[in-house]
Amino acid sequence: MTENIELNMTSEEFLNQLPELFAKSSGARISEDPRYSRILRENPTCAELVRDLEYIAEQARMLLEPENEIEPSPELWSKIQSSLETDKNKPE
Amino acid sequence: MQVQVQGMTTTNATPGLFKRNPPIAGEAEAIEKAKNGDADAFSKLYALHKRRVYTLCLRMLGNVSEAEDMTQEAFLHLYRKLGSFRGESAFSTWLHRLTVNLVLMHLRKKGLQLVSLEETINPSEEDAPKRDFGSRDPHLSGSVDRVALERAVATLPPGYRLVFVLHDVEGFEHNEIAGMLECSTGNSKSQLHKARLKLREILRQNEQAMPKQEAAK
Repeated sequence: MTENIELNMTSEEFLNQLPELFAKSSGARISEDPRYSRILRENPTCAELVRDLEYIAEQARMLLEPENEIEPSPELWSKIQSSLETDKNKPE
Repeated sequence: MQVQVQGMTTTNATPGLFKRNPPIAGEAEAIEKAKNGDADAFSKLYALHKRRVYTLCLRMLGNVSEAEDMTQEAFLHLYRKLGSFRGESAFSTWLHRLTVNLVLMHLRKKGLQLVSLEETINPSEEDAPKRDFGSRDPHLSGSVDRVALERAVATLPPGYRLVFVLHDVEGFEHNEIAGMLECSTGNSKSQLHKARLKLREILRQNEQAMPKQEAAK
């Protein structure tokens, strides 16, 4: 039943449901899901949008790799040390 | 399970990030020593986690100066609260959650605290992504590098940026984000979608501007 609804969606319904479809897909590609192959084939604009959004989400996951982490300025540790000293010297 | 971080109760769910975060060599020993006031051990913890904490702050805030301030704040809180770390979750998970909570508290203090984020998270009409998906420009795949994406994320309106960073980069689930931002799960999903649409718009604009800049050289 649900599958039929998905198979018969209009492009507007598809676009309106995209936030939920992405949430349900848990990382799987909507662009490769047979339930949406008809609508994506018939609507190249929708297909392009889905591919772009999938690409953005995939690239975002790669930002988490340690090599993409950014180094804070070397002065930051001195500032933290100085604040810790002030903290220690504060009366309880 | 619930844990107390920063005086706030938070759900002890493991974000995607730390599922693939194995314990770091020497970390457990440094934690125990730092709990007993060993300054060198605390310095080691800083060296091990500074990049991750700073990067998280920078991505959530989109501003170098604020990110450094919040990184400093996170390590000061870590120093004060380290004694309450019981090892029920990975240390990096605990520190990560502590940092996220601090940044959210900071943002609320800046103006988001009086009204729920659900209402204030929506950017102005001007900042919202356009609903026009009509033009058939070449798609993005393969053309966006990490630096371009980082820059585009930094220009997102704060509400979009937060949800995008927490979900797509840090791997939190929508129900966790809804809890953190005090909004509904549906709102989190909708904000994420709008954030991705806005990013697409920014990245495509940047791509279109590039050939013109090249030609002007």
